[in-house]
Amino acid sequence: MASTVIGAGITIEGEVTSDEDVVVQGTLRGKLVAKDAVTVEHGGTVEADITSGPVAIAGAVTGNINSSDRVDLQNGAKVVGNVKATRITIADGAQFKGNVDMDV
Amino acid sequence: MVRTARSGGDPSEHAQAVIGRTTRVRGRVSGDGSILIEGNVEGDIAVRGDLTIAEGGRATSSIEADAVTLRGELDGDVRARGLVRIEAGARVRGDITGESVALEEGAEFVGRLDAAFELPAELGGTTGGRRR
Repeated sequence: MASTVIGAGITIEGEVTSDEDVVVQGTLRGKLVAKDAVTVEHGGTVEADITSGPVAIAGAVTGNINSSDRVDLQNGAKVVGNVKATRITIADGAQFKGNVDMDV
Repeated sequence: MVRTARSGGDPSEHAQAVIGRTTRVRGRVSGDGSILIEGNVEGDIAVRGDLTIAEGGRATSSIEADAVTLRGELDGDVRARGLVRIEAGARVRGDITGESVALEEGAEFVGRLDAAFELPAELGGTTGGRRR
């Protein structure tokens, strides 16, 4: 059970910060900072820079992603932005435009 | 993940959006669907759906929603298309406009009520029972 869910049909314009995980099924524009996992589900849209723990994306993200853990771009994901993470996967069917920084 | 995207379903049972306990939102919240606030929201909220501020939740917002249930803290005005319930433990500062308003004993309320309803005898005015 995720602590924070931005449901389908809901739009938040502004800054979201959380110590727990955040699931986006709707739309978030602004900034997203989470200490735990961020999930952008299919149909979810994030137009924001994301700073968080692990990130899983099956929706659309426009913005830079800075993860302290892994980033998974799943089938259906559409990501435009730079990704900084310790590990990254880009699944077949994911669209990605940007740079990857794995901090080697 | 529970998804209740179907509009006109059972809005009071399934919150479609949850602002969790440690989550803070600064900005505007809008759209279709019900919202449960357990954390902190600073910014206006306008939704076609029900809104609940849970115990421990806090909003500095003007709120536009269907039914509104307040158990936490609210600083701001409410315009509801349905019932507004200010429950025990709630601390509300702002003007309330709703189809009807229920103010429970133990709730703290400072503001104006604008609803077509009969004032309970113990209210005797616009200020609610100020306990605590």
